[in-house]
Amino acid sequence: MEKLMAALKAQIVEQLNLQEVKPEDIGDDQPLFKDGLGLDSIDALEIIVLLQQHYGIRIANPEQGPEIFHSVRTIAEFITAHQTAK
Amino acid sequence: MYIYIQGTGCVSPQETAAGSAFPAAVLPWEGPRLKAWEPDYKQWIDVKLIRRMSRVIKMGVAAAKLSLQEAGVEIPDAIITGTAYGCLDDTGVFLSKMINQQEEMLTPTAFIQSTHNTVAGQIALMLGCHAYNNTFVHKAFSFESALLDSIMILREGRSSSILAGAMDELTNHSFNILSRFDLYKKEPVTHEQLLKSNTHGTVAGEGAACFVLGTEKGPNTKAKLTGLTTLYKPAGKAEISADIAAFLAAHHCSQEEVSLVITGRNGDASGDEWYEYVENTLFAGKPVAGFKHLCGEYPTAASFGMWIGNRILAEQQVPAAAMFKGEAPDQIKKILIYNHHKQTHHSLILLTAC
Repeated sequence: MEKLMAALKAQIVEQLNLQEVKPEDIGDDQPLFKDGLGLDSIDALEIIVLLQQHYGIRIANPEQGPEIFHSVRTIAEFITAHQTAK
Repeated sequence: MYIYIQGTGCVSPQETAAGSAFPAAVLPWEGPRLKAWEPDYKQWIDVKLIRRMSRVIKMGVAAAKLSLQEAGVEIPDAIITGTAYGCLDDTGVFLSKMINQQEEMLTPTAFIQSTHNTVAGQIALMLGCHAYNNTFVHKAFSFESALLDSIMILREGRSSSILAGAMDELTNHSFNILSRFDLYKKEPVTHEQLLKSNTHGTVAGEGAACFVLGTEKGPNTKAKLTGLTTLYKPAGKAEISADIAAFLAAHHCSQEEVSLVITGRNGDASGDEWYEYVENTLFAGKPVAGFKHLCGEYPTAASFGMWIGNRILAEQQVPAAAMFKGEAPDQIKKILIYNHHKQTHHSLILLTAC
């Protein structure tokens, strides 16, 4: 899980071109949107593509989005659950 | 009704974005490509927004912010831009991804940012400006079309201040394609040699220049935009000379009253013949300045010409680096900017000191 979260942080920083943020600056449980890291809806779309590209995961139910994308840990848990289910 | 230039902003291959005055020294360049000197954009743009912006967006937004700042205008009554190439870099990123990823898993950012209206839209979003917003994409008349639209709106009395400008970027890809059209010089040339090189080709450039135009004088107004016209594919040099004479007459300005002629001379022998002809037939003995050795050639380069024209009127002196022919006049009242792009798109801009 720790390794996956570190990889996710690096991928988020790169994909979203977060120039002022280092992967290690992102807390595991820090909210990614609004008052947390300050990401927005365009970033959410970028993360959806990131999950498809890097982990082969498609989000079937968009209503799950806010829950899955809450933090790096929730995304990592979603990926792990998805991969285990495979 | 007079149309005043209330503020200007410019990002170019010179340090024009460092302040409102003309830079003390020319940034030298080598080779056929001039790149914009880019300021620290964080002074105008939130870091969260910068990360999604390509160079042309940042250049355009910075030029817009500088001009609004100088004009003391927070929200203009309209935002009107001109661009020939649009946001090329993002267009390239998006199209490359479409090809490389077989049209699958395309990310939204490059697509959203690749439209020609992105710069004007981004400025409006940043300012919270819900007013008229338009972008003209008419090749080398894009800037002039934006100006013309602004002039018409101001004359209708619907607006009192309009942000008008133009921006174009050069990417590695576009430079390579344009080079294949044999547009640029093969031999080495410097900014001091370009305008007198008299050989085939020119140098590529890029930049963004914005102007706040209004019906009232602003605190930093130094010039009026007295006239503007475009001429597409004139039949010959004699026709353009007649058109220039008619343009001046229409604005109650004699040839003698023009203090300085600024031409879009770019070192390409066949294109520069037009300027030479006009200088000799209409403005013999008049001082002539140039600007494309400072910004390079691009379809909206006339915007840099207008920026420099406004600065000359504001400072009442012609930068030594811009002088091409004759002696700089002591008093500069009227400036005629004559530019053409590839000999097809000709434009005239008349500025008057105030």
